[in-house]
Amino acid sequence: MNTTATLQAAPSPSQLPSTIRSGAGHWLRSLNRMLRFDLSRARQWAPMMAVAQVFMGAGMAIMYSFVYPEVSEATALYIVTGTPTLALIPLGLLMLPESVNQQRLEGTFDFTWSLPVPRTAQAASTFLLYTLLSLPGMVLSLVVVALLYGVQLSVSPLIVPAVLLCALMAVSLGFGMALAIPNPMVVSVVTSALAFVVLLFSPIVYPPSHLPGWLFAIHQVLPFYNMAVVIRAGLSVGLVSDLAQSFLVLGAWTVAGWAMTGWVIARRQ
Amino acid sequence: MATVALTRPRTEVRRGPAHWVGGYQTMLHWQLAGLRTLLPLLIGIQILVGAGFVLGIALLFDDISPTAALYVSSGAPVMNLLIVGLLLGPQLVAQQEAEHSYDFVHALPVPRTATALAWYTVTLLGSLPAVVLSLLVAQLRYGITFTVSPSVVAAVLLTAFTGTMLGYALGHALPNPMVIQLAEGVLRFVVFGLSPILFPAEQLPGWLAAISWWLPFGHMAVIVRDPLAPEMVADAPISYLIVAIWGVGCAAITAWALGRRR
Repeated sequence: MNTTATLQAAPSPSQLPSTIRSGAGHWLRSLNRMLRFDLSRARQWAPMMAVAQVFMGAGMAIMYSFVYPEVSEATALYIVTGTPTLALIPLGLLMLPESVNQQRLEGTFDFTWSLPVPRTAQAASTFLLYTLLSLPGMVLSLVVVALLYGVQLSVSPLIVPAVLLCALMAVSLGFGMALAIPNPMVVSVVTSALAFVVLLFSPIVYPPSHLPGWLFAIHQVLPFYNMAVVIRAGLSVGLVSDLAQSFLVLGAWTVAGWAMTGWVIARRQ
Repeated sequence: MATVALTRPRTEVRRGPAHWVGGYQTMLHWQLAGLRTLLPLLIGIQILVGAGFVLGIALLFDDISPTAALYVSSGAPVMNLLIVGLLLGPQLVAQQEAEHSYDFVHALPVPRTATALAWYTVTLLGSLPAVVLSLLVAQLRYGITFTVSPSVVAAVLLTAFTGTMLGYALGHALPNPMVIQLAEGVLRFVVFGLSPILFPAEQLPGWLAAISWWLPFGHMAVIVRDPLAPEMVADAPISYLIVAIWGVGCAAITAWALGRRR
């Protein structure tokens, strides 16, 4: 369905026809074009991003293990199943906001917004693209760390929705935050501080029983622990329970990211 | 014909201790003024990082052993000492180069050693509050009583000196801001993740422990730990020596980098 309304009152040869295009067909075509546009820009940095993700994800997992005097089998299983989460968090909370910052500074951001496509299609394209681009680095991190510790994983089909939802959540939240905070310096500081606190104080590579009760209660409504829960459930047996709640919390944060994005792109600039 | 006597401008090379001290004071004011918006934020981040490591590492364990707790508590201050001089320093130089204020600062009629010492003072100001606070948090959290001996002053000053000089050398000797940023990123990884600061070197794989023996970071942790918990350190003098060699070496590289004609 494509509705085309012609606004032109008096046709004059020097004027270009100005039409407002809308409708689902137009939106999907726009999404298709934006995806191609974003993908062709991503070719430059996508491989670098995957490498950086492996360094962050696998690197962090290995660094955590140095802190233990000896890594027992149970600890190793926790570290390995936490690795995909470790690889996703920096992508959503550090690299994506950083990329938005850079686009703002370069002026690319304003250019993209001036293109005659719905901004929701642009945002959807960003979400889709980054969700897909986050997968290779994440899988590679998991493989590296699993091989290193020789851990046998029992992969269940649950891993597919778990990983997709986690990646989409991280991307949506990171993008929403980067849009909602107008000052690039502040985005930088907020996201680095957040990453530090999250990576130190979240039960991602260790069981939540290590946390004091109040901190665990906070983590049950924050996304980070819940990411680890659903991904761990897809990679192992018997470590986690209460999946439905974790999926719900992640879904809610995804929607929150979309809401922040929607709020910003709906405003006139 | 009347002759006009022109007063020649004084060409005078200023030197001597009074000129040097004056230069030091001016540069200290200059640098503090430049960082006036950043410094409170920086001290806040420093405290967050120090207390964060002290409290956060404990969560990795079901029940942290007293030895591990001592390692973390005495390692967190070392992180604080390295953040400003080693990690922020090169970034500031890169920023100056990007803004083209680098050459201006170096054209100022102040001895370079006075500038360097002023920067060292700033790094100490940015680190010491967090160092003290990290130790206090550790005392409260783990119930550790540190037996502080006077050599802690030497250890802290030397650690901060070597960290600052390493950062200074990177900032001034590397050719462009991009390379500096890259080196800084690698360094952050090495210092935070791969150096035996918060844990004993034996917990690293053998080859990594061997490499880090030649780097100053693990030894910094040893010399800071020595006056706080002497029973944990076997061989402090060699660590002092290695940290000092790195500090002097980096100071020499900086002197060369600043002294060459461009």
